[in-house]
Amino acid sequence: MRSGDNVLSVDGVAFAYPGGSPVLTEVSFGVRSGEVIAIVGRNGAGKSTLLRLLNGLLSPLRGRVTVNGKATSETPVHILARHIGTVFQAPEQQIFNAKVEAEIAFGPRRLGLTGSVLRARVAETLDRIGLAHVAGRHPLDLDAAALRFVALGSVLAMKPPILLLDEPQRGLDALSLERLEAIIVQEAAAGTTVLAVCHDMDFVARRARRVVALAAGEVAADCPTLAFFTDPDLTRKSGVEIPDPLALSQSLDLPPTLTPSAFAASFIAHAGGKRTA
Amino acid sequence: MALIEVEDLSFRYPGTEQLVLDRISVAFAEGERVAVLAANGGGKTTFARWLAGLLPEGILRAERGHVRMHGRSWPDWTAAERAAAVQYVGQVPSQQLSGAAFTVAEEIAFGPSNLALPIPEVRARVAESLAICNLEQLAKRDPFTLSGGEQQRLSIAAALAMRPRILVLDEPTSNLDPASRDAFIEQLAALPAALTVVVCEVALRPCLALAQRFLFLHEGHIIADGAPADVLSHPACVAIFGMTGVARAAADVRERGCWPLGLELPLTLEAGLRSFRTAERALGR
Repeated sequence: MRSGDNVLSVDGVAFAYPGGSPVLTEVSFGVRSGEVIAIVGRNGAGKSTLLRLLNGLLSPLRGRVTVNGKATSETPVHILARHIGTVFQAPEQQIFNAKVEAEIAFGPRRLGLTGSVLRARVAETLDRIGLAHVAGRHPLDLDAAALRFVALGSVLAMKPPILLLDEPQRGLDALSLERLEAIIVQEAAAGTTVLAVCHDMDFVARRARRVVALAAGEVAADCPTLAFFTDPDLTRKSGVEIPDPLALSQSLDLPPTLTPSAFAASFIAHAGGKRTA
Repeated sequence: MALIEVEDLSFRYPGTEQLVLDRISVAFAEGERVAVLAANGGGKTTFARWLAGLLPEGILRAERGHVRMHGRSWPDWTAAERAAAVQYVGQVPSQQLSGAAFTVAEEIAFGPSNLALPIPEVRARVAESLAICNLEQLAKRDPFTLSGGEQQRLSIAAALAMRPRILVLDEPTSNLDPASRDAFIEQLAALPAALTVVVCEVALRPCLALAQRFLFLHEGHIIADGAPADVLSHPACVAIFGMTGVARAAADVRERGCWPLGLELPLTLEAGLRSFRTAERALGR
């Protein structure tokens, strides 16, 4: 793959925190526009560190990260922020306005939006994250899941072409998860590139087209989601468990399926569609 | 006999209309392992903090009701007594760090040291907590350089070092990878049988592995309290909480009329394998 085809490219990147042992020793991969990629791996595998290298908060010790052709180590973070938006693991660490709507408006205002255009952007975003009814509330008075959506909204409102999400599904109930997944689907449909660090393999199975797995400081796997989950060597090396519907399909000798509904359809087809009730 | 009792507890945050907890009554016995499920914003964390005696201070007071441990309401306990009786580990591990420790081992020693325990006793507790939470390799690391999952294990290790009677965990496994989560669940299951563990979660898998009793908190009320399968099949619980992937797959098969009558929906992978094999046989395959 030529790096010119990629919106994001990571070439031979190594990184260690000062005084610490290497977190990443040799990481390379390219991301094309509009891809939805899950970054997986064990605790401490360097997933969150990788995100911080992608958005320029950290610079590689060796190698190079380029975002839309700009090397992160040579580009100011506020310029990179027009290309890449990040929602961190702990939303309370990125929220600082006294009202939800002000938090959402902050990014687009920095991009130069004003007046009715800004108001429309904020309203649209509040609607997408399902928090229009608490627009005037203090973000820190909201529950943890709502707070995560505020953080997501504050980034979505800037309409970054690349979206980095660190464990976005964490702690969400089924309804909130549905909303999050709808947003990811809409973003992908609009051509946004999405990279999500994620421990929830059901979520990965449903939403990611490609998996990049980190282990021992390197890329342990980089392939389409189904190919990843159906290769026991890759899942073992990456320390992930396979989604239950896939485990079910494999144990019952059915074609591999990643989601409950795909498994159900495959099970019924296998059983000849015969009704028991 | 109940170790800790929540009696007719109602609570709302200042300046809001909605009661987060609305006349809640529930009791936990010594050694019980309980999962508390609720929707996002459903009062899980508020309940957990009340249970752990962390809210009835300052301006946040119950509208009515009490939480009593050994028959004594939380405001009647000193902070040190309470810290030795109940420990709460919240959702954001980095916020729980004392900030006064340069190493993981020192962080774990912080609580017991503040109880003015003899140094050998503090050391023994640190060693035990490091082992339980599989942190021996990280004992000399700076807590602030740990990953999110490692910090979560550290928070729990520090709580265990207080040797509480009750451990209240707010989404304890949400930051853990599967191997760490399974190891952690195993370690939690191996804790002294007398320790009462209350886990507040939105993820079903750790709850199923940890707890024999589930509570479902909905719109301020406990609307289901009992065996996991009974609570998880409550319609409100299914609507808000979703199903495990296995249950969802079985429900899909049932909706399309291909699930044997009388066969229960399985919750776990193991149960699912058995049930789908049964269904396969019933379908003549």
